[in-house]
Order: sequence, then structure tokens, then C-alpha cells
Amino acid sequence: MDAGAGIILSVFLNTLSYWWVILPTIFLGLIVGAIPGFSAANTIIILLPLTLAMELEMGLVFMVALYASSRMGAGVPAILVNIPGTAGAAATPLDGYPMAKQGRGQQALAMSFVASTLGGLLTTILAILMMPWLAEVAFVMHSVEMIVVMLFGISLIATIASRDTLKGLIAGFLGLMIGFIGADHVYATPRGTMGFLELYDGIPLIPALVGLFAVSEAFLVIEGESMLTSVGREAMKKASWKETIEGCRIALSKWWHIVWTSIIGLVVGVVPGAGAAIASFVAYQQSKSFSKTPELYGTGHPEGLIAPESANNGVTSGTLIPLLVIGIPGGATAAIMLVVMQYHGVSFGPALFRNQPEIGYGMFMVMAVTYLIMTLTILPLSRYMSRVTMVSTAYMAPLIISFTLVGSFVPRQYMFDMYLALAFGILGYVARKTGYHVAAILIGVILGPLLEQYFLRAMKMANGDISVLFSSNIGNVLWVFLALSLLVPYGLDWRRRRANRAAIEAPED
Amino acid sequence: MSDDQPQKRRSIGAELIIPIAGLVFTLYYFTTIYDSPWTAQVAAFFVGAILIGLILLFIGRTAILVSRGRADLGMKDIIEPLSFLPIRMGLIGLTVLFSIAIDWGGFTLTTFVFMTLSMIMLNRGRSKWLAVTVAACFSVAGYLLFIVAFEIRFPEGPFEELMKTVF
Repeated sequence: MDAGAGIILSVFLNTLSYWWVILPTIFLGLIVGAIPGFSAANTIIILLPLTLAMELEMGLVFMVALYASSRMGAGVPAILVNIPGTAGAAATPLDGYPMAKQGRGQQALAMSFVASTLGGLLTTILAILMMPWLAEVAFVMHSVEMIVVMLFGISLIATIASRDTLKGLIAGFLGLMIGFIGADHVYATPRGTMGFLELYDGIPLIPALVGLFAVSEAFLVIEGESMLTSVGREAMKKASWKETIEGCRIALSKWWHIVWTSIIGLVVGVVPGAGAAIASFVAYQQSKSFSKTPELYGTGHPEGLIAPESANNGVTSGTLIPLLVIGIPGGATAAIMLVVMQYHGVSFGPALFRNQPEIGYGMFMVMAVTYLIMTLTILPLSRYMSRVTMVSTAYMAPLIISFTLVGSFVPRQYMFDMYLALAFGILGYVARKTGYHVAAILIGVILGPLLEQYFLRAMKMANGDISVLFSSNIGNVLWVFLALSLLVPYGLDWRRRRANRAAIEAPED
Repeated sequence: MSDDQPQKRRSIGAELIIPIAGLVFTLYYFTTIYDSPWTAQVAAFFVGAILIGLILLFIGRTAILVSRGRADLGMKDIIEPLSFLPIRMGLIGLTVLFSIAIDWGGFTLTTFVFMTLSMIMLNRGRSKWLAVTVAACFSVAGYLLFIVAFEIRFPEGPFEELMKTVF
């Protein structure tokens, strides 16, 4: 699978020739990514007859471009109106939305686009160069290792809870309990379903996302004339192209941050079933843990926006690796790509890169070209997109409620999911009004069932022996990293406070 | 600004809603797994026990604040600002009605009615025609984009049935 420069160049030129497919697909992807419920996977399923009828290369160009652009699109409403388009963008509003409220929405969008593009490009290049080794990750990450990865994400609850630890932990653990609703993973015993058959599969993610973020936000924003603070409104009125340039400059100055958080995304993406939500939570938590200014997270800190955005775009290339190398899809969209490729008789593994390099390397190249074209097309739009925050809440709130509630209906087409989104909306409203963090609840809902699933699998394989959690070398290394990532910030904080005290106590010259 | 000035009492009754709801839900959850195999119990008992512990701590903290006179059990947090209470309750009511009515009213018609009424209410009766126009534009645009162009299965009603004869 060693990629020769000649092959890569010819694949790159071949991919560029599909610009006319990529360009409209980018706009479609941005739209479907921005509306909760209309993920890239759903759109590809809806357009599957069309994709199957296309020639293979064109079909793959369409799917990969849609996948990459929808990932970037999901961050736009997360930043501007506090509504993540997909679960992968759930960590984006933690710092993106406060920036938008301060009238820095344009800057935040530019930062997000640059971080997404660089993160996506870098991980695409890494994926091409290191595919055989990265594919190994999928083999070595078993239940035990995945438990530790999940705990990395869940420890974000403690990070979020830093302002009122008790409230943050209650929100997070309540989320975990809600995430446990549904049939258990071994004997399929229904638990906490309140008699609703619709909950046997667990809590569907989109209604939880829509309710906690969108509906509750709509009930709250009506208190103001627009979503902006008064200072933010003034700032928006004065906004010019300089804001976009400043956003790009800030993101580029944090290039190292983009590099390592996107690599987190790439590695998490390689693990089948892990996904962008875990990657972005882990990246945010790690970013805050090792930041020199952790106290600024949650107030509109650029690093807090860059970390989840680079990570969730890193996932995009990561999910393609197990698909192409071993024929195991890393996520829902990759699974649909698998169906299309199998329909066209594509074989996976080394043979794919030897016999059909235009397909194997081509998929990564499409991603790279999509990111390049996206930067050129979407950056100029950031100024106009950010104007959404100026729209009167009298029009915005009903629009958010009606379109996101219907979006929660789309994935499973149960009316029940709309009622569930409404229930989560009321829970989210009460939580926001009384100082509980909705993101902590959502982290629990997303990661709880996954953690339980991996935990049960590990325990079943070890006949109930709890020491299995410390039985793997890679797992143990991850445990050490987890402990370090939780303890190091306290150490750094202690050192900082000691240095400050020493500076205050030092006699003046 | 003197220290003798009495401190303002915080109303923290509303902060108990989530912990109490969490406690009730956790106890209910336990009843559903009481006779289940251990695989169905282990994670829930572990997480649930921690949650109950945290909730009891929070209730204890609240009780101390109230007994020392630094807080009361008022519900101000959740209803303030009072000037927005009727509008907020109205919007929640309309949202509930929208969720119920869309099943038989269909996406386009129900969304149009919901958006029109909500926008007029939130504008406190001003700009009625603008509200009608915006609601009509967005509901029809949603219909054309999602139902006609993307063929996504949205809740269907009389409008969608009628339009099937056209598209």
C-alpha cells in the first residue's frame, strides 16, 4: 500500500476533474450537516438509488464530499445558534456560541473553517501515508481499551463541572442514567423504558440533541431581541472582512493545537463505532487539561472551539481507513459507502490499492480536494452567515423549534421522537435556567450506553473478573494517560498559583 | 456598602427540580432492573448509587443554606423575568400543540400555523402580515426542499396529499 508520488499526482488530477460534482455537493453537505437529523448518512441513504446508478468513481466522489462537508456544516449552527447539527459537533458550542453572543460569530466561523480544513487535510495526508499502521489501531482497540477512551470523554463532565462541581456531576450522571435506558446489551432486558417500545433500542441521539440544545435554547432566547448580547450587537454592526481575516489568523497561530487535536480525531475515527462525538469531547477535554488558560474555556476561548472542530474533521478520514484496509466501516456513512462499493464489486485490502489506486487513494484525495474547495467557497460566506445572529428572536425561535423538531422525526420516523425531543427541551430549559450544563447531560446520554456495552463485553469475556480492565498493555498505557490528564491540570494550576503568590510577595525594587 | 447590610437571599428552590427528578428516575430505574440478570444491573446500580449520593449531598447543601438564612426555596430562577412568563408558557403550549397536530395536519400546514401564531405572539401582536409571509415562505420552502426535492418522509397531511396530485 505504499503510495508512489506518480500515482498520488495522477489521482489528485483525476479528482480535480470532478470539481463540478464536488462543488454542489459541498453546499448540499453544509445544509444537511447544519440541520439536526439530516446527517450525511441519512442523505446518502435517501439518494442511494442515484448513487448506485452513477459510475463508481463519481458516486464515491459524491459520498465522500458530502461526508466531509456535512461535518463542517454541523459546526455552523452550533456556533451561531447553539444547535449542533450532529452529535459530532456537540462540543463546538461550548466556546463557539459564547463567541457568537459576543458578536464574534464571523471570527468564530472563520476559526472553525480553518481548523476543520487544516485538521481534515492533515489527517487525510497522514491517513494516506500511515494507512497500514493506522489500520492496526482498529485491531488493538478492544473492549478494555475502548472503556478507557470512553472515560477520557466522560471525564469532560468533571471539566465542565468546574464552576459548580456538584451540579455538573449531577447533570453528567443523570445523563449517564438516561443513556442506560433501553434493552441491556447481553440479555436484551428492557430497563427504564416506562413501557415505551420506542425506547427499547435506547435513547435516540437526535431527539436528545435537538431537545437539550435547540428547543431549550429557543425557549430561552425569546428574552432578548436577538441572540446577541447588547455588546455583541454593537460589535456585529461594526463587523467587516477584518473579522474573517482575524479569525483565520487566530486559528493559524494555534496550528500546533490543530495538529494534535486532529490526530486525536484520526485515531478515534479509526476505531469502528467510536465516532466524532467521542473524538470531539476527548479533544476538548485534553485541550483544556493542557491549556495555559483553562479558566477561559466556556467563555469563548479560541482553543475551545478549535479542538473539537479539528478533531471531528480528523474522524472523517479515520473512518475510511478500516473500511478500505479491512472492509470494516468505522461509522454509519462509511457503512453506506461499503454497500455502494460492494455493489460495484470493489475488493478491499491491499488488492484495492494495487489494482484500483484511483479508488483507494482517490477517496482520501476527494476528501483533501473537498477541504481545499470548501475553504475557498465557505470562508467568504462567513460574514453573511454570522448575520443570522442578528435576526429577531421572534422569528428565530419558531423557526428553530419547528425545523429541529421535525428533524428529530426524520431518522426513525416515529412521532414519539418528536415528543421525546420536546421532553428533552423542557429538561434542557430547566437545566439552563438553574445552572446545570446541558452538555454534561448530553455527554452522559451519548457515552453512557457505549461505556456500558464495552464494559459488559469485557466482563463477559473475563467471566466477571474486574481485573480484566488492567489486563492489556495498551489499556494500561491509556489508564496512565487518563490519570495524567486528570492530575496534570491540578499540578499546573498549583504551580501557577505558587508563581503568582511568589510574584506578589517579592519585594519591589 | 457596610458589612451590617443584610445579604440578599438566593432563591434556590428551582435548583432542586433536576436533582429530585433524577432521584425519582433513578429509583424507578432500579425497580425495572431489580429481578434482571447482573449484566442489566451492574452499570445502572454503580452509576445510580453515585448519582443518589451526589443528589443527597446537594439536598444537604441546600438545607444548610436555607437553615442559615442565606437562601430560600423560591422558584424565581425558573420563572424570571416575569414579563416573559406568559409568552414563554404560550410558546411551550404552542410547541406541544404543534408536536401533536403535525401527525394529522402534516408538516407544511402545521408548521405554517405554528410559525404564524408563535411569531405574532412573540412580536406581541405587531407585524402580523410579516409573520404570515415569513411562516408561509419557510414552510413552503421546507416542503419543496425536503419533501419534493429530497423525498424525505416527513409527517404528511392534507396539503401534502393535495400536492401529490401536482408533483
